[in-house]
Amino acid sequence: MFGWLLRKNTALSEVVNHFINTPFPASSTPIEQANFLVLDLELTGLNPRKDHIVSIGWVPIRGQEIVLAEAKHYLINSPVSVGQSAVYHGLHDHQLKNAHDLAQILTELLSHYAGYIFVAHHSGLDEQCLRFACQRCFGKAPRFRFIDTMQMEWQRLLRQGKVVKHDALKLPNCLKRHGLPDMANHHALEDAYSSALLLLSQLKLGGNTMTLSDLYLLSR
Amino acid sequence: MEVADVTKFLAETTPFDQLDAAALGQLSAHINVYYYQAQDSVKINTDRLLIVRTGIFTLYSDQQQLLTKLQSGDFYGYQQLLTGLTDSDTLLCEEDGLVYWLEAEAFHQCRYQYKNIDIFFQRLFSRRLHQYREQQQASRFTLKISDVVQQRKIAIRPEQTAQDAAKLMSDSRVSSLLVEENNKLVGILTDRDLRSRVLAHALPSSTQVSQVMTRQPQSIDRHAYLYEAVQQMSQHNIHHLPVTDQGVCCGMLTATDIIRSQQDHPVYLIGEIHRQLSTDGLERCSQQIAALAITLSKQQVPAYEAGHIITTITDALTQRLIYLAQQKLGEPPCVFSWLAFGSQARMDQSLNADQDNALLLEKEPVGAVGEYFSALAEFVCQGLAQCGITLCPGNIMATNPELRLSLKGWSGRFARWIATPTPEALLKASIFFDLRVIDGSKGLFNALQEDVLQRTTEAPLFLYHLAQAALQRTAPLGFFKNFILEQDGKHKKGLDLKKRGISLITDLVRVYALYAGIHEVNTRSRLQQLAAQGIIDSKDGQNLNDAFDLLAQLRWEKHQHDLQNSHDVTNLLNPAEVSGLARHQLKDSFAVINEAQSRVKHRFCREL
Repeated sequence: MFGWLLRKNTALSEVVNHFINTPFPASSTPIEQANFLVLDLELTGLNPRKDHIVSIGWVPIRGQEIVLAEAKHYLINSPVSVGQSAVYHGLHDHQLKNAHDLAQILTELLSHYAGYIFVAHHSGLDEQCLRFACQRCFGKAPRFRFIDTMQMEWQRLLRQGKVVKHDALKLPNCLKRHGLPDMANHHALEDAYSSALLLLSQLKLGGNTMTLSDLYLLSR
Repeated sequence: MEVADVTKFLAETTPFDQLDAAALGQLSAHINVYYYQAQDSVKINTDRLLIVRTGIFTLYSDQQQLLTKLQSGDFYGYQQLLTGLTDSDTLLCEEDGLVYWLEAEAFHQCRYQYKNIDIFFQRLFSRRLHQYREQQQASRFTLKISDVVQQRKIAIRPEQTAQDAAKLMSDSRVSSLLVEENNKLVGILTDRDLRSRVLAHALPSSTQVSQVMTRQPQSIDRHAYLYEAVQQMSQHNIHHLPVTDQGVCCGMLTATDIIRSQQDHPVYLIGEIHRQLSTDGLERCSQQIAALAITLSKQQVPAYEAGHIITTITDALTQRLIYLAQQKLGEPPCVFSWLAFGSQARMDQSLNADQDNALLLEKEPVGAVGEYFSALAEFVCQGLAQCGITLCPGNIMATNPELRLSLKGWSGRFARWIATPTPEALLKASIFFDLRVIDGSKGLFNALQEDVLQRTTEAPLFLYHLAQAALQRTAPLGFFKNFILEQDGKHKKGLDLKKRGISLITDLVRVYALYAGIHEVNTRSRLQQLAAQGIIDSKDGQNLNDAFDLLAQLRWEKHQHDLQNSHDVTNLLNPAEVSGLARHQLKDSFAVINEAQSRVKHRFCREL
């Protein structure tokens, strides 16, 4: 009776397997050779177990250049109402009627960007949400490699001996500190692009000899 | 999918500001974004167009000479994209910044698709950007109805009486009324109607307006051109035209309005000046100069023509003052020429020009001759000052006895400057080499000019020093955030359009003109002559001419801006207020000046 569901999962989980089987670059890789995918999710709430993805935006970085040709922004069909979260991301239920199927978008993400280091601002939540979403759609979730621009900023400020106030790490404040154009506005693609700019600046500040393992340390 | 920050920036950047949203989105999909840190060197031979988003980048030649600085909205790499030739410049990041790299393919696609963008980059490359115009400028001498019509509407209802109408006309000091019923125009009534249709027919003053008004009058839209109104009035032999705005009546245009609008026409003003019988009268005339300047600017008269017109008015004031002086002092004891130097001589006077004049006399200025011309000079110069043309702070005026000389005296003076020049003396004296006769004997003046030009063409040492003096000041390298980048790498606030631009060209061109013995004094005419005689390359001449026009235009607009805001008229431009195309064009003009200066240096300042 549930055979179709099983078949679907088997076929779809191939995407996950492909992602799992694609190796990440060695941790000794110089950062300018690594590929990054900077992404941002807008959610119906802050609980990855219960809440859903409303929109996703991403932009890849290759050779330390943001590739706008592959910048993507998708609205996602949510099984529940966006409710009060609309206040933050500005997306309302009626706009999501013609939105995309979550599995379809995750398939694109996992098949195109296997082997990429993922990047987000305050990445913990995004990572958990992605994992739960994969679990829900494919029956299994891969392990991601995530870099957190917020953690990097926090460590950087601590090393400078600065007292870090609670809102100093918010994306707009980080952008301002780095002298970057501030367009962060809870739009998944704009925020992903802004985080990408922040990462480029942070990578430059880290010096030219950084490897991925240095980066993982900075992002802890 | 497009990133709003990127498309928004492109939409504000010349020349991409002409693209629509869809085209901008497509363009942005071919962009990669890179972040440079100070001291990073930019790989420039990448066959992509670099667009600076933030930060500051410095361009050095292969000899490590500072060429220019690039900032937000500036480009690099178009040279290679257009020509396929690599170059050996170095681009260094000076202040952390983002750049957009646009793929060659997309750049070329954009050029093929949008002619204006192609032209922009071609001109940017050939330093002929000052010829680039985004829009076709509105044609000249095209005042619209809305520019002249009084912004008030005086209307009466058809059922009111002739007496009401007469009273309303007197109270509002108008000669005609709009007749409206339910806010719809049904007729007009003029004071002439009251005379010929009411009084002449012995109708009572209680006659209704509707009985004597002109029904279904002609009307004209307020966006129509003034000459269309003139045409319509002449055609129907009428003197009043109701003006409509989107079909709704908004005022009345009268023949008087049209005449008044032409009053600040230069021809009218000059005629008026020549009718004045006193200095006070001339002063009243000169008060119209500011209004005239604003009108000229509204009519989009180019700066060089405006300069010509303003000079012609100064000439007229001078001539009339000389006439009035002779009325007062009697016939002059000998033939004389009234000379003008500097901008008046070159016919590129601006609104803040001061006096530069002198007298050339047939006889030596001694005894009665000397006293007569001293009195004449005093009368004319004080008169000009009263008319708003301020006394020369350097005392280069006919009131200065040093500047009231006979032909022999002037010839000797010029001979000394030419024979024993020093750069310092020439810096001051260079003004005397632009001279023109304003009134009096042309023959006397011609004799002097022939004498001077004969000497200058055969005086390499003089030309050497004159060129040195002309090269003492340089154009800034470029514009840069809120300040000007000087040649020595320093930063300064504010750009003096005259000192750092217009005068540099005037000085350069004077050196060539005196070398070639050219009689013309106007800078543009000199350039034309120089190119025609093959003294300078015609392309270089055209470039200098264009740069001169651009700088003069910017100064003219700056003066207009000052005038309309009731500020003092100055030549000082705030770089922060210069944006987009004008900034590119200015940088371009400075480059033209710098090139021309190095050619002068090469030609006139080699070891003798």
